[in-house]
Amino acid sequence: MAIVVVAAVAWLATTGDSYAIRLATLAGTQALLVLGYQLVFGHAGALSLAQGALFGLGAYVAAMVSLQAPWGLSLTLPAAALAAMLVAAVVGAIVLRLETHYFALATLAVAQLIHLAAVNLETLTGGANGLPGVPAVTLAGVALGRGWPMLVLAWSLFAAAAWAVARVLAGLNGLALDLAREHPSAAQSVGIDVGALRFTAFVAGAGLAGLAGGLHAHVVGVVSPDVTDMPVMVGCLIATVIGGRRAVAGAALGAILLTHAPEWFRFLENRHLIAFGLLALAMVIVAPNGLADLLATARQRLWPPQPETSNAVLAPPAHIIRQAGALRVAHVGKAFGGVRALHDVSLSVAPGEAVGVIGPNGSGKTTLLNVVTGVLSADEGEVRLGTDSLQRKPAFAIARLGIARTFQQAELSADTTVLDAVATAAFARAPRPTRAVARAEARHWLMRVGIVDAAALRCGALPAGRRRLVEVARALMVRPCLLALDEPGAGLSRGERIELAQRLRTLHSSGTALLVVDHDIDFLAACVDRLICLERGRVIADGPLQTVRRDPQVRQAYFGRDDAAVDS
Amino acid sequence: MVPYNRRMLTVQLLINALALGAAYALVALGFVLVLNAAGAVNFAHGDMVMLGGVAAVTMAAMLAGAGWRLPGVVLLPLVVMVAGLVGLGVAALGFWPLRDKPPSAMFVATIALAAVFEQSATAFFGPEPRTAPPVWDGAPLMIGGVALGRQPIALIIIAGLAIAGVYALLERTQAGRRFRAVAQDRDMARALGIRAVRLVVGAFVLAGGLAGLAGALLGHQFFVSAGQGPGYMLKAYIAAAVGGWGSVPGALLGALLIALFETLVSAVLSAVWAQALLYLALLAILLWRPQGLFGEVVGRRA
Repeated sequence: MAIVVVAAVAWLATTGDSYAIRLATLAGTQALLVLGYQLVFGHAGALSLAQGALFGLGAYVAAMVSLQAPWGLSLTLPAAALAAMLVAAVVGAIVLRLETHYFALATLAVAQLIHLAAVNLETLTGGANGLPGVPAVTLAGVALGRGWPMLVLAWSLFAAAAWAVARVLAGLNGLALDLAREHPSAAQSVGIDVGALRFTAFVAGAGLAGLAGGLHAHVVGVVSPDVTDMPVMVGCLIATVIGGRRAVAGAALGAILLTHAPEWFRFLENRHLIAFGLLALAMVIVAPNGLADLLATARQRLWPPQPETSNAVLAPPAHIIRQAGALRVAHVGKAFGGVRALHDVSLSVAPGEAVGVIGPNGSGKTTLLNVVTGVLSADEGEVRLGTDSLQRKPAFAIARLGIARTFQQAELSADTTVLDAVATAAFARAPRPTRAVARAEARHWLMRVGIVDAAALRCGALPAGRRRLVEVARALMVRPCLLALDEPGAGLSRGERIELAQRLRTLHSSGTALLVVDHDIDFLAACVDRLICLERGRVIADGPLQTVRRDPQVRQAYFGRDDAAVDS
Repeated sequence: MVPYNRRMLTVQLLINALALGAAYALVALGFVLVLNAAGAVNFAHGDMVMLGGVAAVTMAAMLAGAGWRLPGVVLLPLVVMVAGLVGLGVAALGFWPLRDKPPSAMFVATIALAAVFEQSATAFFGPEPRTAPPVWDGAPLMIGGVALGRQPIALIIIAGLAIAGVYALLERTQAGRRFRAVAQDRDMARALGIRAVRLVVGAFVLAGGLAGLAGALLGHQFFVSAGQGPGYMLKAYIAAAVGGWGSVPGALLGALLIALFETLVSAVLSAVWAQALLYLALLAILLWRPQGLFGEVVGRRA
């Protein structure tokens, strides 16, 4: 790394004319822009098309401040970053909740509005002519010259920002972002406020875009509406894809390639951009994680990393199991269009109780779980945990109150290790533990569910049954008072089901209440004390296991006949 | 009583809006067909429109160079074929290798493709705007005392025929039924033995043809230039969002609404205001009715 930097500086110092230095400086500003876009697109997974326009906004703000407020020369760069962050905060608060394609369109519309303003608000922006005569940067009252000082400033700012980003994302933050991006509902279910995380990434990314734009204005000396136009955005996106979506080294690589492509592909004349676009396309298809990832893989081949040596196990203190009150569901109704999935459903789960929910397909079991955990909100009725009403509370807030859950299709990031997948759930805890502490406790829960031997494997490499166990361990990492499981036995062999039931029984004996949805009455019999039967969205039976098992209505609904075959 | 002149102006304005809307509808139709089939946005869709215009201009120049002066209508089938091939190219590079990846992969790939198309057009066609040949040449027609340009009328007729043809294809043929099955659930359709990928590629080809047709039709009044792709793509994108994501009639209606909005606001205020207000209206719609103006509220089931 250091060698590369030294070589580049030496090369510039010996052979570099002012044009080469200027190009290298612009590469630095682009690297800042791409680093910001990595936060938005790579880490938060938000396909924003406004990053280019926010860069342009930063350039205009820096130019306007330096031209119209000579006293503020030292403030141009902070002002540029701040302006972009302000606009992003307003835009983000409004449009970040939209789904991918709508979000992309909404940010594209915002970008077009910024561009229109740049072209047409002539008194402010100089219209199509732009704002010429932007001076060099003033730092702490000293005007920096163009050339080397600006080059050093741009790349120092990038290095500082890249260091900060890498540091912030190294621990639980990065893991939480990975889960929030790939499986948002799973992230919510362990208490991660996905919306807040995305918002933070979006605004931080905008800050870097604004800073990059401000620098650009000082380097080039003139700001025209081009800086807010589509090609800036497309270039930024392409550089991100080529360099790498998440590794900070990828930001530098992609930016250097983007700015130097016209030079290096000069033999192609005005066709270099075609080649660059095709290169980006090839990267999306062949190496979607970019050059940085290819280099990292090559390095791991040459110098294999030391395996994780720590095997620390940390049991959570016993008193930490929350003593919340009972879960009460009262007269809850939920309809999807014309289909009434839940109709006047009332039930309760006492602290430390183990309750099973059974019913035929489409009887509303999963909907009930989704209403309790805040994935869906009930149309009518009320859900309470102790004295807290869960009504209108987002899923992550309910998880923080102590209700954790698993999903029918295990929601785990394929590339995350089992240990980290479980440790991620400590992110929402206050105070947030370090990753090492979280991993040690994760190992404890993996032991409890019996899969600690898989700790170092990638989640994607596990069979379905074991993935579900990872989810159980992750839910336990929330230290819940109530654990809600959605068909935990589905897809497991008979032997695995019996083992899972026993492990759930053991967990229950240490104080965690269980709410288990499943089809398999024998599985439920092995891990719960009370059974609730749903049919077409109504509770048709609720009582001790044996009573419900013999209930004629239950037999009729669930087995289609009323005979004694169930007991045999 | 509306004065005579005003009435004439209003009729002309509405015909122009309708013609623009018909061309936007062609663009939006292909956009939505691909959206439904591939489940992702084709960001290069606007560049297929632009390439249709480029094809029309280039072919007209070549034929004129050979000493043939043919009416513009004759060029249209050729343009559609060329643009269909472009659609095939987009499918081969932007969809096929990424068919099992999340939709954002195709989105990003087609952004790169769009840049390639735009740069190719700049390099080989030139950056200056040029005019495509008129489809129906001649002096304005006088209908009921109102002078109407032949080009807008031809545009409305041709676009109307093309849209009706696509509808017949979707509703009346076995391929259309299969296509709708793929649009609803690609994996399910595959399980039923439908060659889904082939139909998706077909949708790209059809979308390319429709986009190229729109490009050739619009190229006379609104010029052809290498950088105009994203603008058309944005119109189709907005039409699809306003009309209810994935709804074909919604997108057509959305396209007409956008054209009407643009034409009227441009006439009353200015073209800049028309653009700005369109984006603001879009943001407002996305906020208050994310299911689109004509979309139904569909609850999600886990």
